[in-house]
Amino acid sequence: MNPLFIEKKPERLIEKDGTRIDGRKPDEMRSIRMEVGPLKKANGSAYLEWGGNAVLAGVYGPREVHPRHMALPDRALLRCRYSLAPFSVPERKRPGPDRRSVELSKVIREALLPSVFAEKYPNTSIDIFIEVLRADAGTRVAGVSAASLALSDAGIPLRGLVAACATGRVGDSILLDLGHEEDMWGDADLPLAMLMETKEITLLQADGTLSPEQFKQALDLALKGCEHVYKIQIEALKRPYVSVRRELEEG
Amino acid sequence: MRSPEPSGVEVFVKDRELVVPGQPLARGPIRPQRNVYKDKMGITRATRVGLVEIGGGRVGLIPLRGVYVPKIGDLVIGKVEGISPRIVLLDISSFHRGVMLMPKKTRGRRMVFPSTPKYEELKPGDVVLAKVRSSDGASDPLLTIRGEGLGKLRSGYLMEIEASKVPRALGKRHSMLSLIKERLKCDLVIGQNGIVWVGTDDPRVIGVLERALRKIEKESHVAGLTERIGKLLDSFEARPSK
Repeated sequence: MNPLFIEKKPERLIEKDGTRIDGRKPDEMRSIRMEVGPLKKANGSAYLEWGGNAVLAGVYGPREVHPRHMALPDRALLRCRYSLAPFSVPERKRPGPDRRSVELSKVIREALLPSVFAEKYPNTSIDIFIEVLRADAGTRVAGVSAASLALSDAGIPLRGLVAACATGRVGDSILLDLGHEEDMWGDADLPLAMLMETKEITLLQADGTLSPEQFKQALDLALKGCEHVYKIQIEALKRPYVSVRRELEEG
Repeated sequence: MRSPEPSGVEVFVKDRELVVPGQPLARGPIRPQRNVYKDKMGITRATRVGLVEIGGGRVGLIPLRGVYVPKIGDLVIGKVEGISPRIVLLDISSFHRGVMLMPKKTRGRRMVFPSTPKYEELKPGDVVLAKVRSSDGASDPLLTIRGEGLGKLRSGYLMEIEASKVPRALGKRHSMLSLIKERLKCDLVIGQNGIVWVGTDDPRVIGVLERALRKIEKESHVAGLTERIGKLLDSFEARPSK
């Protein structure tokens, strides 16, 4: 590895007064911006910027299944591909699926599946493509949030939107929405995705160690983060329609 | 004016309000119509982005996005993909292919397929106006070109509109379609699958129609669309027909 790219562990990830390395408070999230419909050729799409992350999600379908033997006679086949762009990380990532992308594709698919009324489109496939253009910790939660928005933009019937957010532990502090350094050198990481209207958890992973109290605290904090993401998702979904209506009203 | 909701129903939204998937619309004994569902708690929720239709003890949703799902009786425009002696396959820009069966007859104990001129003339690549005869959502829908006005479309120009915006492009009792046809003085067919056929090669007509279709797509969720399209067409002075 090029020595220029070797990152050094910072002396402290969190100050005594609780300020984090990037100046945030423990329960503060990075800035999030979402947009619906950047890809005109896809049935539905969404673009998301979350701190240093930039994620593009595209949904194709319902459409004919290829290869045809994969078709399910009673429901749609939901497929998901998560992919890190070669230029999304400091050192070039070899393109194509690797162990991590395959795993993330699987967990993201399973996080979104409970939200989709797949039985409405038997013998078809719904394909989700998540392309991480810039990675900066928390790409799986960013991917889930963007993909749920893209599914909704494609007009696929959903039980509700899935919002996701990660929390973690650095020392004794539970932090919301880990940044790059906290993700790398922190003690635990807990990504969570949830069907917001019914509060059903569709993704919960944990890396590192958390005591039962810390876990509960982290879960509560993640819930708060998901609420915040959900508000931004709704606003992004409605924005194109609201702005056209406003434009027309103002003449 | 819609009748008020039956007692015991708690309504969370206004009629024609823009909603997102999962958003609660009403609680209690209200009849769910299209694009909504009742959850375990008895709350009726939206399944797509769209406009709420509520009243008379019913709640439904007009979707603003989505692909075409064939329904019986729909008029669709498709492209012939393949022909065999008994079957014609059509691309109808949906997740299923349209299937047309050649008309058949029994002669004694044998089944024969006497080809009719309408089927005889079809070649791969032809554009056809067909009607959906049966569709179950799980397999390829059956189409037919038997009937007046159905069959191969000759000359003309093809355009596209989002399938979810077709009901608005047609208008109530086809008011929008008649308005466009009358002002542009041309033949026009809007297939339920979002394929539009216009029976002219006049670039001016095609240009105005293209603008009108894009406007319908963009502004379909705002009331008063027919008047706005009327204004757009005002700028067009149709050439005297030859």
